[in-house]
Amino acid sequence: MKHYKWYFLIIVLMALSVLLSACGKAETPTAAPPPTKEAQVAAPTEVSEAVTETEAPTEVSEVVETEAPVVPHVLKVANTANITTWDPVKSFSTEAAYMANIYEQLLRINPPDSAEQFTPLLAERWESNDDGTEWTFYLRKGVKFHDGEPMNADAVKASLEAAADHAGASFIWWALDHVEAIDDYTVKIYMTASSPVDLIASSLYGAWIISPKALQAATEDENYFEAGVDGGTGPFTIESYIPDQEIVLTRFDDYWGGWQDGQFDKVLIKIVPEAVTQQQMLEGGEVDLVTRIPQENYDDFRNKPDYDVIVEPSFFNYVGFFNTLRAPLDNTKVRQALSYAIPYDDIIKIGAYGLGTQSRGPVPAGVWPWSPDVKQYTYDLDKARELLAEAGFPDGGFTIKLTYASENATEEAFAPLIKDSFAQIGVDVEIEPMLFSQQWELSKSDPPNAQDMFLLLYWPTYSDAGSDNLWSMFHSSEYPFFNLSYWNNPEFDALVDDAIGLTVTDPQTSQEKYVEAMNLLVDEAPGVFFLDTQAIFIVPKYIHGFKYNLNYPFVHHFYYELTSEQ
Amino acid sequence: MAIESKTISLEVPVHGESPLKQMLGIIARDPLSLLSTVIIILFILMAIFAYQIAPYPEEGAGKTHATNTMLVPSQEHWLGTDRFGRDVLSRVIVGSRSALIVPIGVVVFAILIGAPLGAIAGYNGGWIDEVIMRVTDLFLAFPFLLLAMAITAALGRGLNHAALAMIISWWPWYTRLVRGVTISLKQRAFVEAARAVGVRDSVIILRHILPNIISPILVQATVDLGTVILAMGGLAFIGLGTQPPKPDWGLMISDGRSYILKQWWLSTFPGLAIFIVVLAFNLIGDTLRDIFDPRQYQ
Amino acid sequence: MRKLEFLIRRLLTSFLVLIGVSIITFALARIVPSNPAALYIGPRARPEDIERVSRELGLDKPITVQYIRYMKDVLHGDLGNSIATKRPVRQEISGRFPATLELLFTAMLLAVVIGVPLGVISAQWQGKWVDVIVRTSSIFGVSMPAFWLGLLVQIIFFRSLGWLPLSGRVDSDLRFTNPIEIITNFYLLDTILTHNWIAFKDVALHLVLPAFTLAAYPIGLIARMTRAAMIEVMGQDYIRSARAYGLPNRLIIYALALKNAIGPTLTVIGLTVAYSLTGAFFVEVIYNWPGLGLFTVHSLLNIDYPAIMGITLFGATGYIFINLIVDILQAWIDPRISLN
Repeated sequence: MKHYKWYFLIIVLMALSVLLSACGKAETPTAAPPPTKEAQVAAPTEVSEAVTETEAPTEVSEVVETEAPVVPHVLKVANTANITTWDPVKSFSTEAAYMANIYEQLLRINPPDSAEQFTPLLAERWESNDDGTEWTFYLRKGVKFHDGEPMNADAVKASLEAAADHAGASFIWWALDHVEAIDDYTVKIYMTASSPVDLIASSLYGAWIISPKALQAATEDENYFEAGVDGGTGPFTIESYIPDQEIVLTRFDDYWGGWQDGQFDKVLIKIVPEAVTQQQMLEGGEVDLVTRIPQENYDDFRNKPDYDVIVEPSFFNYVGFFNTLRAPLDNTKVRQALSYAIPYDDIIKIGAYGLGTQSRGPVPAGVWPWSPDVKQYTYDLDKARELLAEAGFPDGGFTIKLTYASENATEEAFAPLIKDSFAQIGVDVEIEPMLFSQQWELSKSDPPNAQDMFLLLYWPTYSDAGSDNLWSMFHSSEYPFFNLSYWNNPEFDALVDDAIGLTVTDPQTSQEKYVEAMNLLVDEAPGVFFLDTQAIFIVPKYIHGFKYNLNYPFVHHFYYELTSEQ
Repeated sequence: MAIESKTISLEVPVHGESPLKQMLGIIARDPLSLLSTVIIILFILMAIFAYQIAPYPEEGAGKTHATNTMLVPSQEHWLGTDRFGRDVLSRVIVGSRSALIVPIGVVVFAILIGAPLGAIAGYNGGWIDEVIMRVTDLFLAFPFLLLAMAITAALGRGLNHAALAMIISWWPWYTRLVRGVTISLKQRAFVEAARAVGVRDSVIILRHILPNIISPILVQATVDLGTVILAMGGLAFIGLGTQPPKPDWGLMISDGRSYILKQWWLSTFPGLAIFIVVLAFNLIGDTLRDIFDPRQYQ
Repeated sequence: MRKLEFLIRRLLTSFLVLIGVSIITFALARIVPSNPAALYIGPRARPEDIERVSRELGLDKPITVQYIRYMKDVLHGDLGNSIATKRPVRQEISGRFPATLELLFTAMLLAVVIGVPLGVISAQWQGKWVDVIVRTSSIFGVSMPAFWLGLLVQIIFFRSLGWLPLSGRVDSDLRFTNPIEIITNFYLLDTILTHNWIAFKDVALHLVLPAFTLAAYPIGLIARMTRAAMIEVMGQDYIRSARAYGLPNRLIIYALALKNAIGPTLTVIGLTVAYSLTGAFFVEVIYNWPGLGLFTVHSLLNIDYPAIMGITLFGATGYIFINLIVDILQAWIDPRISLN
């Protein structure tokens, strides 16, 4: 009779599942009627009730579709970038790829070598006083947020104040004194120190202009945005969102830039972490654009006539911090020796699949204040041994503990290469992968007893690697944040501080001081500067208008710029 | 998996030749089981002498070889090389330590914890039995792999933690098994007789109970090993087990996933290794189970 | 009276086990080698933020207070918010579970439809080559790692032959052309109910590979068990007398023997359901299937501890609950067995 038990089990399971489905359904917000389709032959009355939102019971559907039986013009994208938050103030991570299509800043910085440095977005024009402490922005008129609110000086003031107060990247506004709404369409920003506010205001983080209504809602409910709600002015708005799965953006009909033929009505984004899956989806025609395929396979596409393969510099770079508080890494000669023992070419070839160039200091190529005058280490084991001997370690003989973020596949590939190379000069490496948050916590909690070497992928928050990369990673500070070599060099500090102050008023002197600081950094070697990464794109020939912007490498595609024949 | 294992017999022939001899006899009579046994022994030897056998032992352990990346299988590299230029054959050989030996260790430890508790519970009964069995209930109330995964995640990724997590979620099965066998043995005439004439409990357990528990445990362990190897391979596959650059079959399958379109050898061979080993354990388990099936002795 | 006593005892033990399970779950989340508050805020958090969130989450209170607070929330249906998605864990679970269930049911259906006949055929030709093939392949099925099998069939049926879709539950285009109307959250059923045949075909095609990958193990198991049960039944007296009466062989096998062998097979099916739940983790990862398994793996890798706690609690509670109901029903139907 034992089998009864399992017979019931199945029935119970079924009953339970129906129950659960019912619960799930009850939580689904009802959506507007969807487009019907002539292809649906049977039972048109039932079909007309069909709903565009499907899988998860939590989607938000804001579209109001017309009854017209038209198939929308859809762009399909596979993207690795996940959503860590939909809150435009807090946003400081991969979701920027989508944020930039939903929200807008006052202005957008153009790629290097463009005729104009900036593209005006919500500000039509702007000016600053001579020492760069007072900036006036004249706003575009007649712009509406997705929720119908007007975009005006009050909205800008509220957005910037929110950013300075609690943005993920609030530190970019550290010098903000206050924001003043002069009239409906004029905003004046007062800074406590000379600052490149044009650069700051074009940041991908902490610079979005957000509907005051949405901002208010978010102060009342911390998770207001997380269901997939937005309050931007951008060309697209969130139609639905299923975590880890897909995002559907739909065009904002009242977008101030207007709409042309060939632009897309909707963008369907599949979140696909696996590079090989993205490639298969692209080849199978399931998506139009991808963001990552296995590097080994890019050549396949280079030879195909239907695709363009585009390689561009990006503004990410990989840095390794030596713990300068601990012996023997407190010895400059030891750090220099190890810098000579890094197999830069192999790391680029194997770790980054050839997509990168050896760094010159911590500023990535193409980003202010990068300079070809900054020195580099070569891969030279003899030199390394010599320096070790001078430092009193003729055969190495010490062990260093290296930590990296286990979620970063590139760092995972670096680690064994470094270990093997160091082994040749007698230095043993103990590799410890951890989650980034754990790695970082360890490094900040007790520096003298933390790791010996910390691998980090870094990028400037906005397009100024002087006040960001150089200051954040190597300027001394009371508590470590990103200066994880715990280095303290007054000469370097002074040079960087001076250079930052001169950025707006005397860029040339500023750059000279930066170069001096970076060469000092390379000499003292508190860190290893591995490589500046490159971005690679595959664009099918039928998609037009693709433009890469070095300043926003997280934004793989600005969907508004893309067109195709319907 | 645990499931099928629970259907095996608790009743074993009492007082015959030694259980181990009996099992070996059964295996020797079945060509498929014999072959499987040989395969498993070869794999275990391979794991023990991994660094002597592997053509590139250092690469097996993780040393990179930047000029040799992604070579197709050839005479120098029978199973090709990976992204770091490491010999895949050497990686598979060295990887057998974490993919095969560690699961065997997990089962051994689970038995060492589970079996004595089961014997105590079954022999004493009463509140001791109640307490021990409620604790096993607690652990068996979780879907098995879910508990192992949650424990590993909480302790932190890595082979040691994964093994510990597997032992924690696996021992209750042996407690239940041994308890069942002990209770049935206790009711047997020879045990009751021994108790009646006042033989000490410890002597009864050692002389009469223990020898008769060994064979069901061995059968069970053989059947379980395939499952434990698959489960630990799964943990490594999703990234909770062995951490790179150390080799492990499950991890190698996962690493090779990105290259499956062109570098097919990266995932194929470690997968094949898991498959063969698990198949061998299952074939032996199948035979043993058929022979030890209660119906055969009715 | 004994029924009532049994019911109360069974309820009580289930309740105690549930409390134990919740303690284990809670303890697991607290041994995470990381500051929960730091995890909650994410990278680039400032010390003062961590302190604030610690206070908000009650992490500064003693551990027993934290546990009681957590249980209070759980009893109100609040499993906390996921760190990764910032949304309620309860919502995440209930939103994804139907996808997993649909996959599970399809796989089980496949396993029965394929496994039972295989077992019967095998038993019918016991000792012949058909039997050998079926037995061997069923052991093959049980020995195949799902996370490897999944890759192999993807290469064959998507990459080489192009017959079946690679991953996912439904084609991306469908939502614009033939949107699925949600009734039961089982897409196959929903598309049938709404006569949405284009979507039905798409959903069915997407199910084939994952369902087969998941079914490999239970097919082998069910075939083996059916075979064993059939052989046992066919050796019994009434079958022998049926043969002696000259009833056709086919009738004997399908009408008499199978009917009696189905009982033990059902046991296996039940057990396999439980196992398949764990196999689903790997299948969902490989096929990017938007179910609970995929979410679980993501949560585990990111130490999304509220999600891990919620899922573990959900899984264990489901297990306990089903067992309880089954036991009670069984006691009602056949009191002799259970009440002793």
